[in-house]
Amino acid sequence: MLIFIQNILVQIKVLFMCGISGIMHKRVQTKGLAPIGQELTRMLWSLAHRGMDSTGMTIAGQDSKEDFIFRLWTEKEIDVLGPVIDKIEANGGEIKTKSQHDQYIRLTINYEGDIKPIAETLYNTPGVQIHSIGRVSEIVKDLGTAKDVDKIHNLDTMEGSHGIGHVRLATESRVDITHSHPFWAYPFPDISVVHNGQLTNYHKMKGHYEMMGHRFQTQNDSELIAVYLAEKLSKGESLDQALRNSLDDLDGTFTYLVSTDNGIGYAKDRWSAKPLVIMETDEVVAMASEEIALRSVFSEELDRIEPQENEVNTWLI
Amino acid sequence: MVDINAAELTTNQLNRKIKQLITSGNKAITILNPQARHNILVALFEQCDIHIDGSVGYYSASLLDGPTVTINGNAGWALGDNMMSGKIVLKKNAGASVASTIRGGEIFVGGDAGARAGISMKGGKLIIGGNAGFMTGFMMQKGEIIVCGNVGEGVGDSMYEGTIYVAGKIGSLGSDAKIVTPSEEELIKIWNILEGYGIKEKYQFTKIVSAGKLYHFDSLERFEKQIV
Repeated sequence: MLIFIQNILVQIKVLFMCGISGIMHKRVQTKGLAPIGQELTRMLWSLAHRGMDSTGMTIAGQDSKEDFIFRLWTEKEIDVLGPVIDKIEANGGEIKTKSQHDQYIRLTINYEGDIKPIAETLYNTPGVQIHSIGRVSEIVKDLGTAKDVDKIHNLDTMEGSHGIGHVRLATESRVDITHSHPFWAYPFPDISVVHNGQLTNYHKMKGHYEMMGHRFQTQNDSELIAVYLAEKLSKGESLDQALRNSLDDLDGTFTYLVSTDNGIGYAKDRWSAKPLVIMETDEVVAMASEEIALRSVFSEELDRIEPQENEVNTWLI
Repeated sequence: MVDINAAELTTNQLNRKIKQLITSGNKAITILNPQARHNILVALFEQCDIHIDGSVGYYSASLLDGPTVTINGNAGWALGDNMMSGKIVLKKNAGASVASTIRGGEIFVGGDAGARAGISMKGGKLIIGGNAGFMTGFMMQKGEIIVCGNVGEGVGDSMYEGTIYVAGKIGSLGSDAKIVTPSEEELIKIWNILEGYGIKEKYQFTKIVSAGKLYHFDSLERFEKQIV
């Protein structure tokens, strides 16, 4: 009997592990920015039963006055703000704003050119993890539920045009902030991914990309998707093409969402193993692991679409 | 008819209240504001009419034996899981694994169904007004699945018994599934069932059954057979 109950619990854990959500306001250019942080917080809170280890989101399409937004996380008891600023300035970056909250650093800088040299310098700085570098987007992630993260990081004040989010029930790598989603595609600005599933060819593909010179900041399989897509986009593929190619190149079970500087998209594997439902109006498109999350942002009665296997779709502003 | 506002109750409280109302003689209940929550309406064994005004989440209307349930919305994964008898009418789309392991009764999906519709069915009927996804009827052991639209890849994969009827396109047949020609009597029977749900189109269905090549019911291991 005990074994039976254990099996049921394992099945429930497998069924519900991790939840993802995404939203885009299509007419921000005429209607102004939308409360993306607030909406994603509501969606992720309603998915809290799918994972409470950590919660994170990308808020994109921001009205940034500077060239880049940096989001860094630092180890405790190491004062790195000074060295970080020195290294950015040594590479030609001009710090415009800086804020530090506990172990989190947020910087906005003016800088022209390829961001890779600065990213590389920070990557090699002891005690520093880069959560995101973007022109119009930033990643906020922390341990706990959406409400916990909102309380610490004031997510409900963050505006943008689109974003993606994730609640995590860890299965593949350790429970800490760095291994939380979304994953930024080092060193490509504004590309990030949230993923529900497991990649079975992670080590092989990671090795392949490392040989090409790409860096990985974590041991989490989902980071591979971000790097994979960024590589494809940097080679000139459209977001739609990159997502379609991933259906063949990535092995395992996955439904993932991607956020770029001007769009969001999803890909669902050939096994249709991980859920995704979508609601869309002329103004807004929202997607999530479960309808309960969509109901938290749409008050009106809408048709719900459930993508089938081997499906991708994108929305661009 | 008694109305219950689900928004004011936890799922546990809601399911207990439904049972209390039925026990006290109320056989017609409307549930308002279900808000796509999971596990709404489970383990009801009485003949009664339940109307749910909105969408439900995972494993809703599951473990039923007798009730008639109408849902004016969508459903998440595994709607009607393990139903013994009764009827579920879903107005919109169903998530993956609708009618999983049902042993009897009837489930109608007005819209599309997700992957693995009718997985491991052991009896009963699953009728889908729209399309059905990947591996429809996977490991089906008995019963009927009727799909008025298209089905995805791997339909009828590893089915032992039972029948799948598809009016639209078939993505591909699953392992050990084969196509046979349905009789006129079967088609008339299906058309009559569909008419009960307001579908008057006389679809020409493709019939899918097990080819029987994966039958391995002998419980002896190879070395044991040599001894016997």
